[in-house]
Amino acid sequence: MVKFDYFEPKSVEQACAFLERHADEAKLIAGGTALLIWMRMMLLNPHVVVSLARIPGFDSISFDPKDGLRIKAGARHRDIELDPAVREHYPLLYETFRKVAQPRIRNMGTIGGNLCQGDPLTDPGASLIAMDAEITLTSSKAKRTLPLEKFFVDYYQTDLRPGEILIEIRVPLPARPLGWAHIKFLPRSQEDFATVGVALVLRGNRNHCEDIRLALNSVAPTILRARKAEEVLRGKEITNDRIRQMAEMAANEIDPMDDNRGSADYKRDVTKVLVRRAAQEALQRMSSTA
Amino acid sequence: MKRTINLTINEEAFEAEVEPRLLLSYFLRERAGLTGTHIGCVIGECGACTVLLDGRLVKSCLLFAVQADGRKVLTIEGLAKNGALHPIQEAFVQQYGLQCGYCTPGMVLASYSLLRDNLNPTEEEIRKALGGNLCMCTGYVQIVESVKAAAKKLQQS
Repeated sequence: MVKFDYFEPKSVEQACAFLERHADEAKLIAGGTALLIWMRMMLLNPHVVVSLARIPGFDSISFDPKDGLRIKAGARHRDIELDPAVREHYPLLYETFRKVAQPRIRNMGTIGGNLCQGDPLTDPGASLIAMDAEITLTSSKAKRTLPLEKFFVDYYQTDLRPGEILIEIRVPLPARPLGWAHIKFLPRSQEDFATVGVALVLRGNRNHCEDIRLALNSVAPTILRARKAEEVLRGKEITNDRIRQMAEMAANEIDPMDDNRGSADYKRDVTKVLVRRAAQEALQRMSSTA
Repeated sequence: MKRTINLTINEEAFEAEVEPRLLLSYFLRERAGLTGTHIGCVIGECGACTVLLDGRLVKSCLLFAVQADGRKVLTIEGLAKNGALHPIQEAFVQQYGLQCGYCTPGMVLASYSLLRDNLNPTEEEIRKALGGNLCMCTGYVQIVESVKAAAKKLQQS
């Protein structure tokens, strides 16, 4: 690993100033669980590392029924998993975060770091997209808020612009009755990345689907929202046939790669099965809370 | 540019000047002289370097030592008290939960973290808690048995 200078700003403004001053040679570190691996592999060789870990309040999580859930970017996966408001009002997020890697990664790795890495194999992005999350980014010049689903641009590439810091994730409180499902398919070890990850949110009345959001990870260059698949159900009566058609559509919409977790064909087949199961599970939850 | 860090390791204060690129795992071994923290893969795969940071289980190869500035570290050396093994360590010895011993510090600390929060874990919970630790000797069965035995010991104490 090359030598670097390390700074620990005490505010977001200071951090932005460091980024501006050191432009291309600087990298941000929060928990470091992903950055360190890339630095050890010499995929990244920053001369300046700016830590966000000492900014007071940068790991806070707050909830307000009108405003929704606000997660500061420095919150660790474990903080989100253990947060009482997440557990009570956002069961999909609880279910997702408790399955990310393994406690010792969740204890360090932050949600901001996870999203900014743009890793298509990780789970949080899909569930946050399914929950309609938006993110706020800031630089010394400007602040902007955008839907998370617009943030993932390409394989390990996000819309994070030079000098910008992701500061907050906001998740609106979903209307009820709500159906949801999260399936992480892991044929190997517990802390592996998913072969296929499915996050699904369903809103409606009895068997009528008013709205649906389906997001998938590990099956394309980015975490993606399967919009065509959603259209099969949106505004319609939910039947087994339609669920099957939606799953077919999702399997066509993805763009998986062959790797050591399975071939692209295999991942398409698994996606088909898991999307169907997720829809059935979500429907069941929606009906039981109606 | 070197930085001065102050941290507490096993309840003892340490001050040191370090290069920011120094990993916590190397700091513990080479600067603090605590070689119980083993270094395996150094990319967060094997769990041999597991320690507790402010009470949370972490992999010390995925941390720079500067990130531990002002914080408390517990390593495997901090478990035994006055020469007496911790009940989890005793259980690993009695149940043959180790052969070469390379993964053992990480296994024991992961078990420590699990049993601190849950004194009566199921086998599945034990296996999940050890999911981040690789062992190439035992096939894991005796390790899981060790954790079960440790849980019993801790329930009784």
